[in-house]
Amino acid sequence: MNDIIEIFTYPFVYRALIAGSLISVCASVLGVILVLKHYSLIGHGLSEIGFASLSLSSALNLPAMYVAAPSVFASSFVIMFVSRKYRTAGDIAIAAASSSALALGIAISSLSGKTSNMNSYLFGSVLAVDEVDLVTAVILSVIVIVTFIVLYNRLFLITYNEDYARSLGINTALYQMIISVLTALVVVMGMKMTGTLLISGVIILPAVTAKIIASGFKSLVIISGVISFIAFIGGLTLSFVFNIPAGAGVILMNTAVLILVRLAVRKRK
Amino acid sequence: MTERLKLTDAVIKYGDIPIVNGVSLTVNAGEMIFITGANGSGKSTLTKGIAGLLPLSSGTVERTPLMSYVPQYEEADRDFPARVSEIVLTGTQRPYKLFTSRSDRKNAFDAMKALGIDGLADKQIKTLSGGQLRRVFLARAICGKPELLLLDEPCAGLDAQSHEELFAIIRGLLADGCAVVMVTHDISDIDLISEGRSIRISGGRIAGYE
Repeated sequence: MNDIIEIFTYPFVYRALIAGSLISVCASVLGVILVLKHYSLIGHGLSEIGFASLSLSSALNLPAMYVAAPSVFASSFVIMFVSRKYRTAGDIAIAAASSSALALGIAISSLSGKTSNMNSYLFGSVLAVDEVDLVTAVILSVIVIVTFIVLYNRLFLITYNEDYARSLGINTALYQMIISVLTALVVVMGMKMTGTLLISGVIILPAVTAKIIASGFKSLVIISGVISFIAFIGGLTLSFVFNIPAGAGVILMNTAVLILVRLAVRKRK
Repeated sequence: MTERLKLTDAVIKYGDIPIVNGVSLTVNAGEMIFITGANGSGKSTLTKGIAGLLPLSSGTVERTPLMSYVPQYEEADRDFPARVSEIVLTGTQRPYKLFTSRSDRKNAFDAMKALGIDGLADKQIKTLSGGQLRRVFLARAICGKPELLLLDEPCAGLDAQSHEELFAIIRGLLADGCAVVMVTHDISDIDLISEGRSIRISGGRIAGYE
């Protein structure tokens, strides 16, 4: 036990702890909207596009975020637009885009001979978070959280019933765009922490768990954030204890919480 | 008289098929219009066009921005985790304001009280009956103090007492200068508002005034 507590005193661990906690909370809060609007696949699609972009940036010896961030942002607009306009075709488009992007990323990594980076892109390395990553995570998290708080009423209305919002004269396309930007921000932030394959789990799982027990939208957002925070700390600890990647530990912890909550609620009934 | 709604030669098409075909209509403050007609005559399409949910293929619609709309069917997730009070309060939202004020919350509470659902404020919407949910949507529509209220079959699923209460609320809104457009199948509704007019829609056109 003392060994685990001691681990959390190392600078690289507390950097991971702060950045990871912030990203987890942001992802889970935004995940509430994505789950309720049936956009759960979007995070997954974007993260695999992020993987292709990271592979490309590595092959071209460019800073990762110079390529990944614009690609993910642009893709988020396209995916959100297609999902909104053609609901069924949207799912197909995401599935097609994500598997194609994954394949493209693997092909680029293989052709450039930089396959050693592939593992960290796919599965993340939260302990490699440096000072710059930490500052970036703090700034972007503040942007996400403040935007969410300021637009809370609007995001709730649009998540619940977009048609009703339009009848009130509200520009729903603008808010969809804001949701796209926030989703892209979270995916870009989370790629380094959990890896491109697992970031969608950090976005979706806490909201799915919170939906089982929340009594209203506000409580859903709060519970989702709290679950995500606890699962991140638990997952990080799990990764130290069992020597597994932190991203995998966080997702496994989120899954365990989901199963436990589901069982507890079933037992109460 | 202040115009709340002016529809001029409105045409709404699904694909190439005109569902509403050249409807013109003016509704002033304090006026009530009933829209009647058989199933598939274009009544709901017309209200969606007025609400801005369907684009007009031709013609124009001018309406007050302070409008509330209660659709025939709410196209929202019945399992959505929201409390009644949260849903009703959304009726106070307007394009130019992001936050709800104390008076918004009071209006939402008053609307819930008027529709007899104040006791359900903390209930999740998924636990409500169809009739209770209908009253939630009506409360949401009136709590924003609309100048134009669009109601598409609002009495469906309401019991006799709620039906009476709804018409009492409508009379109050009309007295305050709100214009009301109501789609109804029940012709007897028309007699409940003495100053109301009615139009009959058939084949997407106005087939008669009553």
